Parts: sequence; structure tokens; C-alpha cells
Amino acid sequence: MKILRRVLDFLYNAAGVIAALCLIAILSLIVAQMIARWTGEIFRGAPDYAGYAMAAASFFAFASALNRGAHIRVSILLNAVSPRLKYILEIWCFSVGAAIAWYFTYYAYWFVYWSWKFKEVSQGQDASLLWIPQSVMVIGGGLLAIALTDNLIHVLLKGNHRIVRDTVESHGE
Amino acid sequence: MTELYAIALFLFVLFLLLGTGVWVGLALMGVAWVGMELFTTRPVGDVMVTTIWASSSSWTLTALPLFIWMGEILYRTRLSEDMFKGLSPWLARLPGGLVHTNIVSCTVFAAVSGSSAATLTTVGKMAIPELRARNYPEKMVIGTLAGAATLGLMIPPSLALIVYGVTVNESITKLFFAGVFPGLVLAGMFMGYVALVSFTSKEWNPSVESGMSFSEKVANSRFLLPVFALITVVIGSMYAGLATATEAAAIGVIGALVLALLQKSLTWDSFRESLMGATRTSAMIALILAGAAFLKLSMGFTGLPRSLADGIAAMELTRFQLLMALLVFYIILGMFLDGISAIVLTMAVVEPMVRSAGIDLIWFGIFVVVVIEMAQITPPIGFNLFVLQGMTDHEMGYITRAALPMFAIMVLMVFVLIWFPEVATWLPENMRSGPG
Amino acid sequence: GEKWDMPMAYSASNFHSENGVEFANCVAAGTNGDIEITVHAGGSLFAGADIKRAIQTGQVQIGERLLSGHQNENAVFGFDSVPFLAPSFDDSAKLFKAAKPKLDEVLAEQNLTMLYAVPWPPQGLYFNKEVNSVEDMAGTKFRSYNAATARLAELTGMLPVTIEAAELSQAFATGVAESMVSSGATGYDRKVWESLSHFYEVDAWLPYNYVMVNNDVWTDVSDANKAAITSCADEAAARGLQASKDYTKFTMDGLAEGGMTVGPAGETLMSGLREIGATMTSEWLEAAGEDGAAIVDGFKAMQ
Ligand code: NA
Ligand code: NA
Repeated sequence: MKILRRVLDFLYNAAGVIAALCLIAILSLIVAQMIARWTGEIFRGAPDYAGYAMAAASFFAFASALNRGAHIRVSILLNAVSPRLKYILEIWCFSVGAAIAWYFTYYAYWFVYWSWKFKEVSQGQDASLLWIPQSVMVIGGGLLAIALTDNLIHVLLKGNHRIVRDTVESHGE
Repeated sequence: MTELYAIALFLFVLFLLLGTGVWVGLALMGVAWVGMELFTTRPVGDVMVTTIWASSSSWTLTALPLFIWMGEILYRTRLSEDMFKGLSPWLARLPGGLVHTNIVSCTVFAAVSGSSAATLTTVGKMAIPELRARNYPEKMVIGTLAGAATLGLMIPPSLALIVYGVTVNESITKLFFAGVFPGLVLAGMFMGYVALVSFTSKEWNPSVESGMSFSEKVANSRFLLPVFALITVVIGSMYAGLATATEAAAIGVIGALVLALLQKSLTWDSFRESLMGATRTSAMIALILAGAAFLKLSMGFTGLPRSLADGIAAMELTRFQLLMALLVFYIILGMFLDGISAIVLTMAVVEPMVRSAGIDLIWFGIFVVVVIEMAQITPPIGFNLFVLQGMTDHEMGYITRAALPMFAIMVLMVFVLIWFPEVATWLPENMRSGPG
Repeated sequence: GEKWDMPMAYSASNFHSENGVEFANCVAAGTNGDIEITVHAGGSLFAGADIKRAIQTGQVQIGERLLSGHQNENAVFGFDSVPFLAPSFDDSAKLFKAAKPKLDEVLAEQNLTMLYAVPWPPQGLYFNKEVNSVEDMAGTKFRSYNAATARLAELTGMLPVTIEAAELSQAFATGVAESMVSSGATGYDRKVWESLSHFYEVDAWLPYNYVMVNNDVWTDVSDANKAAITSCADEAAARGLQASKDYTKFTMDGLAEGGMTVGPAGETLMSGLREIGATMTSEWLEAAGEDGAAIVDGFKAMQ
């Protein structure tokens, strides 16, 4: 069990780090394209690559964002009810969340499979094989599904989830 | 009849999932799924993945993580302390005194930060102790801060405007410029209110500073150089046609890193924290946007937005009546939802209505931003209220009452926008043309 | 009856979309309500780039797409976008006729059946200055949106800049871009006369929008209804072509009224452009192989 715990936590964190690297990649791609334009050079497909990095930055970070309490939820009811009812509500939330995430991952897998099978290429100037960037949906969606299931099991066995909110407030709003 | 049934069902599932605490992005996907399963025969899973891939791999969206990252870096610099030092000598003699630094600091910081919470925490952590030490009325300090921080959403860069622009497919650069004057007008109205209270309130009895000489004031203004340099680079690059909104965000990140480096506040740890924080926050918004894209599609298949738009058109509301209805609608929605969720959730239905009423979508973006700015300070869910609660240990009720006048001023701002639409539309329509 | 969803990429007021709505009405009447088509214009269901895959995989039954957007996938799809190969409505109709058998074959492999296609108005060149020769174009910042337009920039010595459609008017207003190749319609819709001064009617090419139906859906349609839909499609093709011609005139007048200098390109410019067109045709033939050669030969035989 302890090994499984360690492996999972490593996966969430590693994916989070990859997401951060994708953010740096977005920055680099946009700067490179800007410099190319100013100097009269051409950087073919830069917007497309930046778009793929954007998708990767999001999907790889979903699971670690969940574990760090970054994803927004309406918690009025959760905070108002008795511990017993809160326990039931948390089971409901993680079950619904996990079901949606697994559903998405399943269909994302087949979506990417057909892109690979048909050798679908991007319509942009990058002309990339699309299954490569699209795979982040399967990996990131799968990790989110695992993280939600992981938390669901934790609630069922230990009575509470493993989400720990950061002390620094979210800067999203 | 089918439409009424569909509306009731969408709303029921939406409130069920959101109300019980399912994460917003996932809840939107759940609602979309139920809608498609019940009202269409299309393959739901394939449709879901197609739209989510299209929406999450968009180039326009890349401005979002970059502006968040920029804010995260600046949050970790001395920028706000410097701003206070530079601004306070000039503002101390105005009627209302140093309370104006609250508003002006928020306005200036809003021009480098895309979010209201970041503006509030950065300015608040520095301004609250300084103003308390000088015996300004607590309610004014808290209230103006809660209100003025929402300018982070209106004055470019703005995460809310990026999300709006991506959702309705309008130019983000144009939206950014549309926000400049309304932001300044709103800041001016806040300052006018402060001056008014300073004359009429009996509690107004701050300790008076020994005045600085003019040359001292000018010397102190050097502290403002970094932030104005950053604003000039970010907004100037867009205005001069060197960069699009996305590219300006990249310039902003580099500018913020340089600034942090010069101030020696850039360590490996602060760099890593800013990057990881930005990654998580943008992932949070990306999940909501993914859910919203799927919901928009699901609603499109059911034909609901169109029949609602037709229904509203058949009521022959004037533009003014429609806008009033939307104002009330968003104020109610804003009590329970954060601004970005409110935008993405409603646009599938509201966009066709507004377009068919012939309302300019750039102008409407600013209208929406004002109403979601209000949502930041209305209970029970108001982001700025939460942040201030954490910073000041006041109760929600106290903070809400302190912010109420700001809410009223924002309502007034909506009418200013309606009566003088040029406030929002003039700048984007008159940007510099031609190269060179 | 059956309900079909038909995503279209361009705004509801665009002539392609209006034509699509009339087609849908015709189908509802012709099949006595057996098949009702709901048009979702303005990319409100799927964005342009996703529509073909959505039809192929049965996410929708029918839809419209600019097929030349898919030329990375198969060069044949780009036959209508080879610069100066068929520079008029008449030539482009011949070229389309020559290409149709091959297109039908490629689409059938992708589980698609083409119902009708309508050309956009001819593509012309927009500039913020007077241009009399290819040399005058050198160094201009040119908006490119795919491989072919980037290549066109390269061959004319312009600097290709990538601008997303939503940022187009802003890019011209701020000078991020100074030139583009597009139909008069695009410039008219985006009010480019605020920033650009010249439109040259070089009639570079006339790209087609295609309305396609999913083959599994199409197979299940009764023969009587198939006949009704096909006849509606033929009417739509004719009506769309006329609308495209009318719209060409309308937008040219609109651009001129906006203050732009609108007119045909001078002979020096045209001959320079034709040379570049010849280069790009041979490059396209290399990419499109035998299929491409067959299309071009068929077209030349009709001249
Ligand atoms: Na801002
Ligand atoms: Na609120």
C-alpha cells in the first residue's frame, strides 16, 4: 500500500512539473515567434505548438491542482451541514467527479486512437500528427480520474479526502 | 413545451451538481452530458472530446497562464510597497487623504495584474497597516480596497476579458483597450466618493502628516518607475502594434522577471513557487473552460439558446430593458458564482440574445466585467470578501457593509456605460493605424 | 421525421449560411418533413476546423467545410487554392468539374458524400500602399494562414505573419500586418478600409465551401428522399454561385465606398504573379501526384 501511495503521489507531482515546463514552453514559443516576426524570419506553426503546450499545461496539471485545492467548488452546503451529511456529500462529489473524469478519459482514448489510425494531421502550418499532442488528454484526464478515485477511496476508508489547500490565496479571480 | 422541460432539467441538474459541491468544471460537463443524452441521439462521448480538445488547445488561450504567471511573480516582489511610497506624498493632501492610495494603487497594479484577488492581496497587505496606523476610518479602508481591487478585472490585462473573448470569439486586444477608460472612470468615481465622505463623515479624523516638500515628492516618485515601466511595456507593445494580447503577456512575464531580478526578490524558490502557482490556477480555469465548451455545444444541439433568444426577441424588449434584465440576472448569479464561471456558464445563451439585439460584443464585454466585478463583493460567495476576511479578521457582514457603497457605485457605472457607450468603444475603434 | 444538425463555420448573415438555410427548407419541403435540417451557423456548434471530423464520425449528420483547410491531410483537397490556375468564376467551375470525380473518391474513403459546393468570391490582394509590381511587395508584412499563403509570401519576398481570424482587424489597425490575400467579402466584413488602402482584383483563386453528409446516414435515406435532397443540393449550388457573383460586386463597391482604391492589377504585377502561380502549380502537382496531374490535365482539356 505504501508503495502504491508513493507511486501515485510521485505521478501527480511529476505531471505537475511537466505542466509547469509546458508553461515555460508557451512563453518560449511566443517569444520566439515575436522575435522571428520582428527580424523578418519565419517560425512555421508557432501558434499551433503554443496551443498544444497550452493543452498539455492544463491537462498535466489537473490532478495536482485537485490535490492542492485549486479547483473551484461551491462549498456553502458542505460547510453548513453536519459531519455525517458532509461525509455523504463528499462521497457523492468524488463519485460524480470520478465518473465524469473516467468517462472523458475513455472517449479521449478512442479519439486519439482514431487520430493515430487515420494519421490525422493538423490543419495549421505545423502539419503535426495530431495523436501526439492529443495524447495529453488521455494521460492528464486519466490522472485526474485516478486522483478523484484515490480521494474517493480515502473518504470511504479514512473519513476524509486528501486535498490540502495552499495558504496563499488563488489568483484566478 | 419541450423547451420549458429542457430549461427546467438543465437548471435542476446544474444546481444539484454545483450546490452539492461538485467542482465547477466537472459539474458543467455533467450537465452537458445529461442534456445531450436526453435531447439528442448523437454520440455524446465523441462530441465531448472533440470540443474539449478544440477549446483547450487554443492559441488565444495562452494569454491566460502567462498573465497569471506575471501576477504571481509581481506578488513576490516589493512592487506594492514601492507604489505606496511613491504615491502617498502626492495623494496625502487631497480631500480623503491617503485612502486614495488604496484606489490609485489598485488602479496602477490592475494595469499589470489580470486578477482582482491578486490586486487585492498585493495592495492590501501593504496599505491596510499603513492606513490603520494613521487612524483612517476602518470601514473606508476596507470598503475602498474591496471595491477598487475589482479594477484588476477591468483595466487591461484582465483574465475575465480573456475568458470572455475566447468564449465569444472576439479580439482580446480590442477588449483590453475597451476596458481602459471605464476602469479609469470607475476609479475616479470611487475617489469622488472618498472625497465626499471625508467632508461629511464625523468619524473622519486621520492623523495629519507633516508635508513633504515638492522636491522630496518628486524624489520619492522614483519608486513608481518600475511599475510604470512595466505598464508602458505591456500596454505600449499592444498599442504600438508590436504585439498581440498573447504576445504582450509574454513580454509582461519577462518584464516581471527582470523587475524581480533587479529588486533581488527573484530566488530559485520564488521562481518555482510563482510558476507552480500559475500552472495550478490556469489549470483551474482551463477545466472550467473545458466544461463550458462542452455545455455550450450540448445546449446548441438542444436548440435551447436559439429558442430563448427568439423568445426574448419576440418580447420586443428595448435594448435598455434587455440590459436591465441581464443586470439583475447577473447580480443574482454573482451572489453564488465566481465571475469567470458566471461568464462561461451564461454566454451560450446570452451571446445569441445580445447579438440579435444588435449590441456590440466588445461593449458588452465591459458591461459583463462591471457586473462580475460586483459579484466579487456580494455575499455569500464573494471572492474579495473572502480574501479580506483572511487579511483583516473582520466578519463577512462587516466587510460586506463596508463594500456596499462601492457596489452602488458600480451599479451607477453600468448606467454610465449605457448612456455613454463611447467610454468603452472609443479607444478600441481609434487605435493607431498604419505601420511605422 | 428525422432531425439532422448541420454545422456551418461562417456567420448567419454570410451568403453561404443563408444558402444553407434555404437548402434546409427545401429538404424539409421536398421530403415532406421526413428530414428536418437545423443549420447551426457561425461555428456555434463546431468550429470550422472540427466540422469534417464531426461529420465523418457521425457526431453530426451533415455539415459545411472549406475543404482546402485539409490540404495537409491530402493535397487533392487544395486543388481549388492553387494561385492563378483558374482565375475566374468560369475557369474555376471547369476546374471543379475536372476535380469532382477524384474528390468524390477521396471523400467516399472518408465516409463522406458531397452534396453541393459553392465558391467564395475570387481572392484578391490587399495592401496599405500602391503596388505595381512583385518587387513593390517585398518586405511587406503579409498575413498568412496556411502553408500555401506562407509560400506565396516567400516567393513574392513578403514577410509572412500569422494572425488568427479574430485578431485580423486589430492586426491591420496596429500594423502587425500590412497585406493579405482574401476575397472582397473578408475585407468588407472586417471593414479593413480603416487601415488598408488598396485592393487588387487579381482573382488568385476561388476556394469552395462543401456541404457533405455522413455516408452511413446517407445510405439509410430512402431513394425518393435522396432524389429530393439531391435536387435541393443542385438548386443550392446554382443559387450559391449566383450569390457569390452578386456578392463579389457588392463587396467591391463596398470597399470602394469605404475609401479603398479597388481595381484590377497592372500588367507588370499580373505577369509577375502569374510566374509565381506557375511555380506554385508545379509544386502542388508534386505534392498531389498523379491525382493532381489528372485534375490539371482534365481542366486544361476543357479550356
Ligand atoms: Na488588470
Ligand atoms: Na458574489
